[in-house]
Amino acid sequence: MPPALAKGLVILVAFVAVPATLSAIGGGYLYQIAITALIFIILATSLNLVTGTAGLLSLGHAGFYGIGAYAAALISTRLGLPFLVTMPAAGLIAGAIGVLVALPTMRLVSIYFAVATLGIGEMIFVTLLNWIDFTRGPMGIRGIPPIELFGWQPASPMQQYMVVAATAAVSLWVLSRLTHSYFGNALRAVREDDQCAAAMGLDVVQLKIVAFGTSCFFAGVAGALLAHTANFISPDQFQFGESINILAMVVVGGLGSLPGAVIGALLLIILPEALRGIGDFRMIAIGSIMFFSILLLPKGLLGEASALRLLRHQFGEAWSGATGGRVGWR
Amino acid sequence: MSGAPMLEIVNLTRRFQGLIAVDAVSSTVNAHELVGLIGPNGAGKTTLFNLISGFIAPSEGDIRFEGRSLVGMRPHRIARLGIGRTFQNLRILPNMTVFDNVSIGALGTFGHAPWHALLPGRRARSRQISELTRDVLEQVRLTTWAGELAANLSYGRRKYLEIARALATRPKLLILDEPAAGLNESETAELADFIRGLIGRGLTVLLVEHDMALVMSICHRVIVLASGAKIADADPATVQRDPAVLDSYLGVRN
Repeated sequence: MPPALAKGLVILVAFVAVPATLSAIGGGYLYQIAITALIFIILATSLNLVTGTAGLLSLGHAGFYGIGAYAAALISTRLGLPFLVTMPAAGLIAGAIGVLVALPTMRLVSIYFAVATLGIGEMIFVTLLNWIDFTRGPMGIRGIPPIELFGWQPASPMQQYMVVAATAAVSLWVLSRLTHSYFGNALRAVREDDQCAAAMGLDVVQLKIVAFGTSCFFAGVAGALLAHTANFISPDQFQFGESINILAMVVVGGLGSLPGAVIGALLLIILPEALRGIGDFRMIAIGSIMFFSILLLPKGLLGEASALRLLRHQFGEAWSGATGGRVGWR
Repeated sequence: MSGAPMLEIVNLTRRFQGLIAVDAVSSTVNAHELVGLIGPNGAGKTTLFNLISGFIAPSEGDIRFEGRSLVGMRPHRIARLGIGRTFQNLRILPNMTVFDNVSIGALGTFGHAPWHALLPGRRARSRQISELTRDVLEQVRLTTWAGELAANLSYGRRKYLEIARALATRPKLLILDEPAAGLNESETAELADFIRGLIGRGLTVLLVEHDMALVMSICHRVIVLASGAKIADADPATVQRDPAVLDSYLGVRN
């Protein structure tokens, strides 16, 4: 398949096939699930950049998702600024806070970094819960204005879906460039052997900070999308459990694999909805699916090596020199 | 620059608690020179390498590269100044392809800012990295393996992969830590030719090696360490006759 066709196909599915199908079989509620799935695709792929590609296990991703959601909610309800301002602002605030709190932890490795991010996530949650004057605490924030682009408000669920899908598409393009490029190679080298990477001239600390900051930025963007599409947010949406949920998406899909993270997010958002019929048993079903998928496919449904090969060959993100075959990155 | 040594080690000392791993070593490496560093196990050879490449800090003394002190400099800065190195226990990145492994060295040369992957001009920059990587792979004859995961390479080829990655940093000084370990005779001979070829192309090489025949046949000069201290620093023929060296290392005195 030529690369242009492969890319076109992805766009066709996201912007034509999916909305057409959703409209045909019922609309409203299905669009809500689709929007949630897109938000979690951004969360899972952004976590994948730092945890999968750069190898820094973050257990606080939901915290930065929460910072983004509250930033967008507060800026729009208190200052009356529109979506086009609140969304990037939410990303920048989450990214900046991410970099600030991560700076002292950047020399930590493996489980120590994980515990540090766990602590950061909890601090964010407790702040959202208890700083009542600012965040309204457990009452949450109501009446967040819906998405608006230059005065146009997407009224139907389908139009909302389109705006969220466009944001997700741009986010995925950036994350894909950062993963499927020589920059991605640098991150993978830091993960595999940071001393060796440093001996080759890579600034390991800078790479970790960029990966973590970018990851938090997109978590913030996802938070803004949630705030403006759900119109109500509260602290319990950004608890530790949600970080683990996002991590599960990445691991089930395949650590380090961006398409894997997309598949993982789709699976773990759509499955609970699809299994509503079996009531309380569905969490057991989902748990078993996670358990067996990891048992049978420990590298994930679409592991990193396969994903990189797929991207190089199908999406033309590769360089074929005189060596023949697609080996490098463009 | 002319006449001044490329690398100057001045009174370099490194202590680990009570142990003196490197004891007041002074020496130089001149441009285009192939210098061997030998000594029994635990003599401080690898510690000296780690001091030069910035992985550990000296307790005393100075290391100067092209006149600039490397003390306190982080490893990636030292690498970018033009000191490339390999590791004794190969540190290839097994889950990455051979091509991607070598590209890591090229990334150190061309930089790895995130916008290099995002902004216009990214194609041209990636092409530079790709071409340097390809050139180096050709030099070590790993081109046909470029798309293979590094984990699938044979031991001998991994050695060349490790050297290729260091070469992709475009070093002026290349530090090789026991490149011949585990190679058979014909492989070692091939490696000797390859290292000579590097000198012919204008590189400077500092070589730690246990294979005496290799060191004595290709090195211009040999530095001998024993218990952290330098006991000899001369051409191979002189070193081979040096009684102190024979006592402490070669262990044979006629």
